[in-house]
Amino acid sequence: MKLIKANKERLSFQIDKKEKRALFSLLKLYPLMPAGYQRLSRSEAKSEDQELLDEALTTQRLENKRQVLAMMKAKSRFRVNKNGYRFSIKPAQLEWLLQVLNDIRLGSWLSLGSPDGAVEMFAALSEQNAPYFWAMDMAGQFQMILLHALTGEGSTQADSPPSTSREH
Amino acid sequence: MVETATPEVIPDIEQEQKNKTGLEPGYLVICWNDPVNFMDLVTHVFQTVFGWNKVKAEQHMLQVHNQGKSVLTRESMEKAEHYVHELQKYSLHATMERDE
Repeated sequence: MKLIKANKERLSFQIDKKEKRALFSLLKLYPLMPAGYQRLSRSEAKSEDQELLDEALTTQRLENKRQVLAMMKAKSRFRVNKNGYRFSIKPAQLEWLLQVLNDIRLGSWLSLGSPDGAVEMFAALSEQNAPYFWAMDMAGQFQMILLHALTGEGSTQADSPPSTSREH
Repeated sequence: MVETATPEVIPDIEQEQKNKTGLEPGYLVICWNDPVNFMDLVTHVFQTVFGWNKVKAEQHMLQVHNQGKSVLTRESMEKAEHYVHELQKYSLHATMERDE
């Protein structure tokens, strides 16, 4: 996927068929973060406020899911051209797409057993959890392309996959 | 016409009520380190949620990365909850803790 045009109203990417298939396969996984995983406080016991936060995040995820499904259905979002598709999105929509992709990335990481680094991750890899490894890596690659498109930094194409050194 | 009596507010009670409703800025919004979020994403989220410039956002992101956590802001309970929710929308590991 490559950024081909960006202005305040819209960002347009060239995306080929394989990439589009990969993106859609990823988006179908959303949401992957377990409900109730996020805590409002580390020091305080679960409270009414925590329940409100859980509700707010659940509502947010439902809304994101609705938008994801609408995006996947909208033919105008992916216009066919000779090299695949022209994928267009507004900057504000790109923010929720980043949220969705990071949910998939973190949810995959949790499903892999929250490994600390690449060595631990590969050690824990099995036939059963391999799809999560794929999802985590792929979501990261799409995130970096979208981020660079938003910030206008780097090249307009993700030349290399994000390395673990860029992670926290 | 019946005249409405002016309510008399006793300062101590007002202060107590203020604390109870969380209007006092006594909560720290903290972002914690994890091995999975990209540094660029964390910087972007800080810029988006707090409206910070890139330099400030990167300073906090590096503090998270190097020291395990960063105190992002000190706010009233309501505002702190709002910021935690906004950060968690992006799946960042953020919490609010009472500033004691």
